[in-house]
Amino acid sequence: MRTHWSRMVASAAAAVLMVAAPASAQWRGIRSNGPRLPDGKLNLEAPAPRTPDGKPDLSGVWLTRGIYIGDIAKDLKEPVPMQPWAAELYKHRRDTESREDPTGWCVVGGVPRSTAVPYPFKIINSTGMVVMLYEAVHSYRQIFTDGREIPKDANPQWFGYSVGKWEGDTFVAVSTGFNDNVWLDNFGHPAGESLRVTERFRRKDFGHLDVEVTIDDPKTYTKPWTVTLPLVYQPDSELIEYMCTENNKDVPHLVGK
Amino acid sequence: MPALTRAARTAALALLISTPLSAQWLNHPSAGIPRTADGKPDLAAPVPRTSDGKPELAGLWRPSPGLTGDIARNLKPGDVPFQPWAETLYKQRRANNSKDDPTANCIVGGVPRSDLVGYPFKILQVPGMVVILYEAVHAYRQIFTDGRTLPENPQPTWFGYSVGHWEGDTLVVETAGFNDKGWLDNAGKPATDQLHVTERFVRKDFGNIDIQITIDDPKAYTRPWSVTQPLAFQADTELLEYICNENNKYFELVHDFGK
Repeated sequence: MRTHWSRMVASAAAAVLMVAAPASAQWRGIRSNGPRLPDGKLNLEAPAPRTPDGKPDLSGVWLTRGIYIGDIAKDLKEPVPMQPWAAELYKHRRDTESREDPTGWCVVGGVPRSTAVPYPFKIINSTGMVVMLYEAVHSYRQIFTDGREIPKDANPQWFGYSVGKWEGDTFVAVSTGFNDNVWLDNFGHPAGESLRVTERFRRKDFGHLDVEVTIDDPKTYTKPWTVTLPLVYQPDSELIEYMCTENNKDVPHLVGK
Repeated sequence: MPALTRAARTAALALLISTPLSAQWLNHPSAGIPRTADGKPDLAAPVPRTSDGKPELAGLWRPSPGLTGDIARNLKPGDVPFQPWAETLYKQRRANNSKDDPTANCIVGGVPRSDLVGYPFKILQVPGMVVILYEAVHAYRQIFTDGRTLPENPQPTWFGYSVGHWEGDTLVVETAGFNDKGWLDNAGKPATDQLHVTERFVRKDFGNIDIQITIDDPKAYTRPWSVTQPLAFQADTELLEYICNENNKYFELVHDFGK
């Protein structure tokens, strides 16, 4: 992310920017389909819409509520079960103020970090796949729903390789095939090639989508652990073009200690 | 897309040749496509259609090579109607081997340059939108087909703002709202914030789409001009993850040939 979210100054500056230029001001004339209240606002408490096949419709522009991008495990009741080497690496990253964060170089956040960032993303239902269009770094992710399995020896990727299926009203996406460079959050919880992420998408009502994320990476963590990222529907809004390498100021500023 | 010129282009081509896409995706035969008796995709089969009767554009496509370097390669010399300042700038960019190419810094190619690159892209047709997922720089583009018109004063962007509608069997996409930094091709033909691009997507048969591209930018060119970019269907393969900012060597290589 161009602005490094673990740093208070950057966060404050970005917050000011977001306040000064609300997305709605950019998109006069964009009107989301959906149930409206008498005052014209979208009714975020209305029932979840459904696609013609009866499944909850996940499509729309979404944004995480709450600040999970710093520490994705902040709601965990117990400590993150890091393997000793991972705890050591995590401490190093905290001690050096995340100066080696790959997103400082405009590399994508991967999974699940891209769900936790403070930038909206659009979910699209397409034939045989669900696609995420991320405002952050103007990147995308494909989740294949055509019944294929994850390749046994997938090319290691930042986003991994994702397949999804419905279990009742829950859309379950499983991703593996990650490279060894991924950070789970700004603080630098590590992940490696043995990372397997399970995301359970539950659209609770029109305006709210919970993503329950299970991190299973036996090389890095002693047991799987689970967090929930709450997403809020972004009415009458659109994605803005975020070209991270245009005038990126992060690299010289990521000096650590 | 780190400026596909000279050394970089040669390196990129070598990479493509040494790791054919098909080798990565052995187990992903494209489902539901017409095949000939020997099992190969039948690229000459009729145009598939969506439920509303329009040609289906969805699928994985790759621009046929030729126009990436010079979008006007098939035009006659003098057919690109530069304004004088634009011609001067273009000559500067030719003289310094495109060393200031924004895509060297992993910025997207924009429109129409992303139609021309040597990397595949996937077209999706979903309600209200056509979406293009580009392998190049792992970027995407939205083309709104829900009837909205181009905004009058959009935020200037690299991809511009695109709306599309059908004229018979042709998807016509109008794009405006560009910043003034875009290059139309590797050679560096300029574009400005006055650029208005019209792309006409014509699916000729199962395996082939032509994009007829019209460049209308009165600040940079004295009149509109047009080119055609053919696309070839890519069967039994997938997009690879192209993270340009991971280990980008362009600025080291550029010293070899930039002047």
